[in-house]
Amino acid sequence: MATEKHSMSMSKKRTIVNTLSYIVLGLISIIWILPFIFLVLQSFRCENTGIVNYVFPKSFGFDNYIYLFSAETNFLQWYFNTFIIALFVCVLQTIMQFMMSYTLSRFRFKLRKPLMNVMLVLGMFPGFLTMIVLYQVLKTIGLTGDNAVPGLILVSVASSGMGYYVSKGFLDTLPKSLDEAATVDGATKFQIFYKVILPLCKPILIYTVLTSFMGPWGDYIFASVIAIGSETGLNVAAGLYTWLSAAMISDNFTHFCAGGVIVAIPVMVLFMFLQKYYVEGVTGGAVKG
Amino acid sequence: MATVKLTNVKKIYSGNVTAVHDFNLDIADKEFIVFVGPSGCGKSTTLRMVAGLEDISEGTCEIDGEVVNDLQPKDRHISMVFQNYALYPHLTVYENIAFPLRLQKNPKMSQDEIYERVTSAAQVLGITQYLTRKPKALSGGQRQRVAIGRAMVKDCKVFLMDEPLSNLDAKLRNQMRAEIILLRKRINTTFIYVTHDQTEAMTLGDRIVCMKDGYIMQVGTPTELFDWPANLFVAQFIGAPMMNTIKAQLTKEGNKYFVSPFGYKLEVTGDKGKLLAERNVEPKEIYLGVRPEHVTLLPEGQKGGFPVTILVNEMMGSEYHLHVQTEDGTKLVVRIPTINLSEEERAKMVSGTVINVTFEGKAMHFFDIETEYNLLTDNQYHGNDDPEAPIKSDEAKDELHPENNESAPAEEEKPIEESPKAEEEAKVEEQPGEEKPQE
Repeated sequence: MATEKHSMSMSKKRTIVNTLSYIVLGLISIIWILPFIFLVLQSFRCENTGIVNYVFPKSFGFDNYIYLFSAETNFLQWYFNTFIIALFVCVLQTIMQFMMSYTLSRFRFKLRKPLMNVMLVLGMFPGFLTMIVLYQVLKTIGLTGDNAVPGLILVSVASSGMGYYVSKGFLDTLPKSLDEAATVDGATKFQIFYKVILPLCKPILIYTVLTSFMGPWGDYIFASVIAIGSETGLNVAAGLYTWLSAAMISDNFTHFCAGGVIVAIPVMVLFMFLQKYYVEGVTGGAVKG
Repeated sequence: MATVKLTNVKKIYSGNVTAVHDFNLDIADKEFIVFVGPSGCGKSTTLRMVAGLEDISEGTCEIDGEVVNDLQPKDRHISMVFQNYALYPHLTVYENIAFPLRLQKNPKMSQDEIYERVTSAAQVLGITQYLTRKPKALSGGQRQRVAIGRAMVKDCKVFLMDEPLSNLDAKLRNQMRAEIILLRKRINTTFIYVTHDQTEAMTLGDRIVCMKDGYIMQVGTPTELFDWPANLFVAQFIGAPMMNTIKAQLTKEGNKYFVSPFGYKLEVTGDKGKLLAERNVEPKEIYLGVRPEHVTLLPEGQKGGFPVTILVNEMMGSEYHLHVQTEDGTKLVVRIPTINLSEEERAKMVSGTVINVTFEGKAMHFFDIETEYNLLTDNQYHGNDDPEAPIKSDEAKDELHPENNESAPAEEEKPIEESPKAEEEAKVEEQPGEEKPQE
């Protein structure tokens, strides 16, 4: 009898805890997802372009999207700028970050550990602390304003080695004996990297590609500073934000929402296809470290 | 022709840690040499120095008469099988085996020749049906075969194997051991094989190099190491279960030698007795070594033996491993073949039974109590001129034969472990020029 009572109370307790947990989690999810739903709904609103105090539009349509792709705005230019920056950064950063990780994981050389420690400490400082200095440097070489695109690529790529940690963690899990076996088989150092290690790094490569792409794709702070004063040198985030200024918001709020949706689409598609590798990349690097 | 010669080879790691001390060895063409020893003895490091995967700190390594210290592994004409197989996971079995052939230049190998070599190796190893699979779809034994296949397709002068069977289960290990023996006959090249398993060393090697703490303890044929161990370490490392060692007094009466373990006086007969007399060994306290299989069970009522009490009885199928205790508390391990025992006698092989055992003089081994060297062999190994050389055997004993200790907790109290450590400056008398006695 006592055992039955005990198991009853245990089961009740678990039900109550589970119910409360689900309610809290549900509320958090709603709070998190509401802005996105609001953004998508507003992007289809046709009755006016300003801020309104209701969520569901009175009339739905693609006017805002059509406007974005019209000649009336610089949206396509901003989008193109962002794409070019993200593409170059993605390719160059992946190469540089991977080379850095491979070197630190596979080779032993003097000051290797101090170098890693220094990079770890430097990585703890927010990037925007260096913004003013970087702006001055880029301005000196003429890579600000309308020429901000190469400037922004340079800024992101130059610091790409700092993000070697996750890739190094993954590479550390690959047995050293693979390198040694390939060495005995007659492979050069480059052949070991290219023929043995690289094919095994697909998950972490995809992870690096995604994170390298997403950084500049959603960057606002650097782009708004480096491209300051230019209409065409902005990236999409900085460009869209100009529509939220007090003078422009009433004419452009729904355009801003539509722009937000368009910006999110490529990243969503990438994630949907590469989600499996992304998770493998993150967890793979964390297994043995 | 593919001889390997290691001359005064040393491996010193950063922090002045010496992993291999003054390693000298001549390996003949087509010889199968086995490096054996406990973990950390330097056997793998030595192999890796031959392979070129570790730098040689001092000394020279010659392959086929050419000093290879500064040559890349690929230029040393070696093949190597790794402990963890080291197969390329993204490549199929075919591509794994073909990998070294595809990298080959001068002359570059044609696709047809690669195909021929890979399929031929696969046929020899019985893995033809797995050529299209990836390594993850193979069992441990199949993976090991692929690793061997990858090593054997190359035209190599020296075939190196670093504990290739240690990741396999016991049954598969026995099977693969036999296959390596067959493979050796087919390839017919120089082999260097590293293992910590004395059974592998005994069954595979033409000669065995027994190592401890970076020093060579003994080099010899399996029979030499088993019958004439140079010191107590080798005596206890080679053979399973481990050799019994008993503190005993060696005495001399006229031209005859006697030992008195646990209060019984036994005459040293046969070659051993003659050799003691020839060498005019001084009577003294010694470690008497007797292998468990050389202890004989006497039939009930027969005189001449000494009574022991069974503590633990391990039934191994073909034999009993009996952990017994003498009247003075000395613990021994005895191997008794079951085939010679009647049902009645088998029934008596239980804990607490007193049985009569004995051992013959020719089965005894005599070790100096200070240096632990065999009194009847020429001790030309383990850096006799190096006072740092590890001449004591007891440190590694538990590691070498864990099975002895697991089954017999009292084993730890064996007299050998209570023995005092030899002084650091203890050195063995060198007897250059003398041939090792043969049975």
